[in-house]
Amino acid sequence: MSVPRLCWLMLLPSLLAAQSRDRNPHTSPKDVAEGRRMYALFCVFCHGMDGASGRGARLATTFRRHGTSDLDQYRVIANGVPGTEMSGHFLEEEEIWRILAFVRTLERATPHGACATGPGSVGAGRTSFVERGCLGCHSVGAEGSGRLGPDLNGIGAARTREHLRDSLSDPGRSVAPGYRTVLVTVRNGGGEVRGVLLTQDEYTVHLMDGGERIRSFRREELSGIQFPGGSNMPAYAALAGTEMDSLLSYLCSLQGGALR
Amino acid sequence: MRGLLTLAVAVFPVFGQVTYEQLRDPASRPGDWLTYSGNYASYRHSPLRDITAVNASALEIKWIYQARIMEKFQTTPLVADGVMYITTPPNDVAALDAATGVKIWEYRRRIPSKVQTCCGQVNRGLAILGDRLFMATVDAHAVALDRKTGRVLWDVEMADFQLGYSATHAPLVIKDKVLMGVAGGEYGIRGFLDAYDVASGKRAWRFYTVAGPGEAGSESWQGDSWKTGGAPIWITGSYDPELNLTYWGTGNPGPDWNGDVRQGDNLYSASVVALDSDTGRLKWHFQFTPHDVHDWDATQIMMLVDQQVGGRARKTLVTANRNGFYYVLDRATGEFLHASPFVKQTWAKEIDGKTGRPARLPGTLPSAQGTRVYPQVAGGTNWMSPAYNPGTGLFYVAVREGSSLYYQGEALYKPGARYQGGFFNNERVMEDWYGAVRALDPATGALRWEHRLFQPPWAGVLSTAGGVVFAGTEDGYFKALDAMSGREVWHLNLGGRVIASPMSFAVKGVQRVAIAAGSSLFVLGLRSASEPR
Repeated sequence: MSVPRLCWLMLLPSLLAAQSRDRNPHTSPKDVAEGRRMYALFCVFCHGMDGASGRGARLATTFRRHGTSDLDQYRVIANGVPGTEMSGHFLEEEEIWRILAFVRTLERATPHGACATGPGSVGAGRTSFVERGCLGCHSVGAEGSGRLGPDLNGIGAARTREHLRDSLSDPGRSVAPGYRTVLVTVRNGGGEVRGVLLTQDEYTVHLMDGGERIRSFRREELSGIQFPGGSNMPAYAALAGTEMDSLLSYLCSLQGGALR
Repeated sequence: MRGLLTLAVAVFPVFGQVTYEQLRDPASRPGDWLTYSGNYASYRHSPLRDITAVNASALEIKWIYQARIMEKFQTTPLVADGVMYITTPPNDVAALDAATGVKIWEYRRRIPSKVQTCCGQVNRGLAILGDRLFMATVDAHAVALDRKTGRVLWDVEMADFQLGYSATHAPLVIKDKVLMGVAGGEYGIRGFLDAYDVASGKRAWRFYTVAGPGEAGSESWQGDSWKTGGAPIWITGSYDPELNLTYWGTGNPGPDWNGDVRQGDNLYSASVVALDSDTGRLKWHFQFTPHDVHDWDATQIMMLVDQQVGGRARKTLVTANRNGFYYVLDRATGEFLHASPFVKQTWAKEIDGKTGRPARLPGTLPSAQGTRVYPQVAGGTNWMSPAYNPGTGLFYVAVREGSSLYYQGEALYKPGARYQGGFFNNERVMEDWYGAVRALDPATGALRWEHRLFQPPWAGVLSTAGGVVFAGTEDGYFKALDAMSGREVWHLNLGGRVIASPMSFAVKGVQRVAIAAGSSLFVLGLRSASEPR
């Protein structure tokens, strides 16, 4: 029997013990720091340091296909996911728990208290949000039907107050993935069509135009495809301080709900 | 008794033996496809000429084999005597009726959990000799199967998978030996190529691709770094029967992006090694990327082309390397003849005209904050096959344009765990991140034509005597190009990423083309009305 195989057998009892634990026992800041180091050694190749830039499953989200509990996550790291590139790992129990402690910090894009409380009334912010017609392009969970901008349900858990302030005053600075603006020119006098890029491939381009119609084009039908950058959202840099504060407080209050 | 014999012949298909002579001369069986790359010179060129640039618009699907897989499907089928043999990941094998796709038998292999592979539990195909098939497995075993039944004839451990060893490429049969090597360049393995006796599975020789103490090249490794030096073998080699030399590309040194712990050239990583096929003895080597720190494996196809270079008839080895340069070597001696970039590259000032050694530009090493370098980490091309058409005299290659940010990180070796010393992020900048099929002059690397692709591809190309180049795309298209001009003459959406290299065979003398895409294998041919009678 090879030495590693023997080691593996010797580790089994402790692993079984680990799997009977429900909660991660290694979550101190020191554990997180060590977990980050282990993540950079063993996980970064597929998942990226930010848990979002790799080709593996996105970790910078609270969504977990194989269970969200610490124990579920421990099992995924230890045993892998059959049929995918995620193999099980020959790591020690503490190492897996520490990696998990770090991964938990990725679940929120801004780990240090997203959307800290600030001045402004949530109720007044919500009124302003509705009256300014934001639901024309956005939705908030079941409320509103706008499709040209992202659903803002849970935005308060994913963004800082400062990020949201920037997005209101200069929407083009950071456009959410999947909401890129595209401008196509149709041949034979078909004119220009502007919209949100849905997808494109070797032969086709698909967008949602301002009327929320899905428009599909073959590349050969187009004389030009441009990505002007920026956002279709108007800038709200000129909002009075109190309205801006209230709007931010409302957005920060959107911590995600029952919709999945 | 006579009745029984008649019955046996009527019920069971009669298989001919595939001989070494036929592997040497595949033109003797033009409707078959007997080795991973179609011939020992690795042309991936079919002599079949039914499908042409004129009639390719009449291509249609003849049958589909749906595999029950989630993994990447990278197989190149073999076809012999009307039967197609494929691997499905991780290491199942199916024998299919080549005319209809009906499954004749299937071998299902149990793979232990915690097999370590850098990029999926994949397999690229089989080798064949006599009535045997050979496969390398992700748990680093060499396996022989009866090609009539799928029964296991022998099964030998190449290395301990718990130390990060695996195997993914199609083996290569030479005479009475089957050659295969180990992957695991991201796990601190010490790479090697093995030769096994086809009858018994007994190991005939082993060549370590990382020079150890006392061996030539060991001075190119600092301290004990050779023990975890990587240099895996994960794409099928080539063979020149006249020289009796077999040529294999080797992978990156380990750890990938932190070269500080392995000072030196790190032989024979990121190289081609020319070995005596009987003994495994090293005849010569050429290192494309000394002390690689960008994960630029040299595991691309080593193609053997006899051609005029500089006014002299030469037996050359040509290869488009992951580091972005196209190389021409003398395959008898290893003499460097030529190198030129075939994609945008920003890491080498030049390749020395005499030695072939690159002059690395400053500021191109991986760093803590990330260093942007062309080509991208997956390279100017990768394991997907190029092709060579002796008729057009062109070398066809699927290329990947774009850059990556290369990060250096901590290098900590832990048996069976990743040992990479950093990571990367791809820079998917519009207009800068794309793919192409390019036709090069095989002697000079000069660009003859380009067919641009929307995404950098992971699919190889197939050339045919009918003057067609077949290629696949990331978004699931399979397409036919005019081999002379690169003009697209046909395409079809197969509904899944194409991460494999196409091949061609014949059913009752009529040409077919096969390609894996998504989780299925597609076999295409001309509409009946367009088929030759």
